[in-house]
Amino acid sequence: MREGFDNVDWLERTRAEGDVDAWLALIPYARRIGVSTLPDPQGEGLLFRLDPREGNVGNVLLPALHGGVVAAFMETAATLDLMLATRMPRLPRIVDISIDYLRTARLAPSLARCSLQREGRRMGNVRVCAWQESETTPVATARLHFVLGDPGDAGA
Amino acid sequence: MIHGQTPGDADWRRALTRFVTVIPHTRELGLEVLEVTPEVTTMRLPWNDDLLGDTARGLVHGGVLTMLLDTVCGSAVLPALPAPEVCPTLDLRVDHFRPGVAGLAILAEARVVRVTESVVFTEGTLWQETGRPLARGIGNFVRLGPRNTPPGFAEALFADVAIDEEDDHA
Repeated sequence: MREGFDNVDWLERTRAEGDVDAWLALIPYARRIGVSTLPDPQGEGLLFRLDPREGNVGNVLLPALHGGVVAAFMETAATLDLMLATRMPRLPRIVDISIDYLRTARLAPSLARCSLQREGRRMGNVRVCAWQESETTPVATARLHFVLGDPGDAGA
Repeated sequence: MIHGQTPGDADWRRALTRFVTVIPHTRELGLEVLEVTPEVTTMRLPWNDDLLGDTARGLVHGGVLTMLLDTVCGSAVLPALPAPEVCPTLDLRVDHFRPGVAGLAILAEARVVRVTESVVFTEGTLWQETGRPLARGIGNFVRLGPRNTPPGFAEALFADVAIDEEDDHA
């Protein structure tokens, strides 16, 4: 089966299997910055993890992760979480992101949890919280809007 | 600022080139600084297959655009200040007008809208083809002030920057 987000059969199968790794394999920038998933110990969903790579550093003095890399991590998390959480297989396309930087993200593993605030017929709204030491002291929070596309129309 | 002289646009272009070259993430992606004035900073991110967010359809990862806007807006802050200060991003908002496509460099322009005692307000735009913007960003940066800026920050920015000879004798 041809792999690709625009292949409805492949998308439905990988979604049914919860095979997020198959999705990540098709997202080179997420692989470059080191995004992975792990089961959420508090529930049925997933947590997302950003590997503390030297190439993700944005401030060498502290050192701290690049804020834009943290945003890219959170956007990846929101997109994948949304693809799993919707009632039907949908193909999200980002409309906008708003991110607040609350604390310096050190060169250490970062985790993120997403929550789908609204799934409409056309639009989805996702909140993301990213942290390092403790979820109660986030390094960043973000909210994102997505157009929820029909995977069959992806080529359009 | 450098031996009491005000750096010109060419000095700033070299300084910001140094700035984005010291940052591992932008160095490894080969980000280039094209033009710097106190108002506007322009950069170019060369194409690299790692920028993709969807290999099947050949689309740029939205996060690349956020990363680039954070970088170009954060860099544009420096020449707009009386003296370089460390200015972390307070918040960033990105609107995605159309997806970026594989194979083309991404151009980035940022301008400083307002500098206050504590915050620098910026906005930026990205494009691959002229007149067809990919995304708009609005970034606010916190001024940490001279007290919280590490000593030698300005000197490090302008290290190896030759000031025009005329200035040397000024």
